[in-house]
Amino acid sequence: MNLPFSVQKSQDATASSGFLSASGVSLKPAYYHDILNALPALGFFEIHAENYLSQGGPAKHYLHKIREHYDMTVHGVGLSIGGALPLDKSHLARVVQLVNDLQPAVFSEHLAWSTHDQGFFNDLLPVAYDKISLQRVCDHIDQLQNALQRPVLIENPSTYFEFTHSDFSEIDFITAMVKRSGCGLLLDINNVEVSCFNRQANPYDYLDAFPTHDVGQIHLAGHTLDQNPNVPLKIDSHDQAVCDQVWALYEHALTRMGDRPTLIERDGNLPSFEQLFAEAQQADQVRSRIKRGQPHA
Amino acid sequence: MHKAFAASLLHQNDQVYSRIKGQSNDEKHTRFNVYRNNVFVSLIDALADIFPVTQQLVGDEFFRAMAREFVQNNLPSSPVISDYGQEFDAFIRGFTPADSVPFLADIAALEHQLLALTHTAEYPTLDHEQVSAAFSQVEDPSALRLSLPPNAHIVVTTFAIGSLYLAHKNQQHNIIATLTIDANEHLLLAKSDLYAELRVISPAESEFIKNLMEGKTLGDAIPDDDTFDLGSSLAKIIEWQLLTHIS
Repeated sequence: MNLPFSVQKSQDATASSGFLSASGVSLKPAYYHDILNALPALGFFEIHAENYLSQGGPAKHYLHKIREHYDMTVHGVGLSIGGALPLDKSHLARVVQLVNDLQPAVFSEHLAWSTHDQGFFNDLLPVAYDKISLQRVCDHIDQLQNALQRPVLIENPSTYFEFTHSDFSEIDFITAMVKRSGCGLLLDINNVEVSCFNRQANPYDYLDAFPTHDVGQIHLAGHTLDQNPNVPLKIDSHDQAVCDQVWALYEHALTRMGDRPTLIERDGNLPSFEQLFAEAQQADQVRSRIKRGQPHA
Repeated sequence: MHKAFAASLLHQNDQVYSRIKGQSNDEKHTRFNVYRNNVFVSLIDALADIFPVTQQLVGDEFFRAMAREFVQNNLPSSPVISDYGQEFDAFIRGFTPADSVPFLADIAALEHQLLALTHTAEYPTLDHEQVSAAFSQVEDPSALRLSLPPNAHIVVTTFAIGSLYLAHKNQQHNIIATLTIDANEHLLLAKSDLYAELRVISPAESEFIKNLMEGKTLGDAIPDDDTFDLGSSLAKIIEWQLLTHIS
């Protein structure tokens, strides 16, 4: 089997077959009781690191209860890998502690920045694809991987504009980042749809050029369309079900690169747990077809 | 680039637009505004989650306008959003449009304290039987020292914000309507299982608990106050499971 990058490199006692074989969903407080009562047949749950750094309280309590039954992946949303400032060492130390406690199958972060002199912006802000950014991003990934003692996956961004000056295309930047830092990739198919729509590019061309060998995990999510008079934009809102275009792109991507661990990502307008579970099962059906060598069923 | 980007995000200027591809300034504005909107909406939503009673007291529209002004000058200092808003009460004290609600800042401070307390570690506490056993093992209970969790604390307030907070949280509209807000209160803030819990206690109970926290023996902790009832105070402390050990 063509094992995904991250799992080949980060195998440990707890990176069990759950993560590899069945798809997962975002872990949200509204679902804690549903999960513990029903123990649904999911491969794993993904948390945002920054929501689980407390010394106590309900989040920490339920996280560890659920971890007893499931694999986990930890998704950082606040390290500001693409930032101009050095990484926040005290925050990094808390993240390392969480990862050491939880032993997740994967730790991932974003190709984005979120902190500057004024503080933390709570959004994933765009990185300029130039040589200075590339150096900075790779230095920060080095620092992160050294601190975690494992390779990390970096996620392709959702963007709403392009900078006037770039030294690289997004794909070339990501490819160079992987080569230099030794990180793996988290391919967010919804981000591909959103970013390509917003810059009027073809998402299939993007996927065909993406360095898929290094993809260790996939994210699927929903987005919204902002129909304003100036320029229609797709917004990476994570508050809708995965749409048909994204499912089609997912199938295309898997056909090209083979099966990959997959997450249904949901952060807002939360549906019933059953609905989210059904989306994870839909991903599993696509993956089964790919594994059997029968795409586009 | 980050400096110009950050300034354009927070201060609604177009400093960074020269670096953005677009057919027109309107297009650049629309594209950049997605980030502005994400930053402000997500942080205002975060404040609304952290300060629900503050929000109820002034209404949604007022709260969001006030929060927007706070966000603009007070971004989170860390990516851990549950820690956000530590300076919100100080900001409210200086926010003139909120002057007509003089206790608003105190409510905000209380809400932040409670959330911070929820996020602290839990301490194992003694149940009713364990406390009874400890008392039955000694001849003179007045020499016992009763320890509370280190994250429990007492707050003395200028206004009756403890009662107001509880009435809002429990949606007791009749209490809100008749509450005398201009009165001191003694509040005990402690964890109950995984969550912070607020309890309004009498001044005498407050002194008693403070004495216990300072390590005084049970006998020495009893306040010199005719209204104090040792039996009922101890019963409450035991019922609330506030004792970590007895020695």
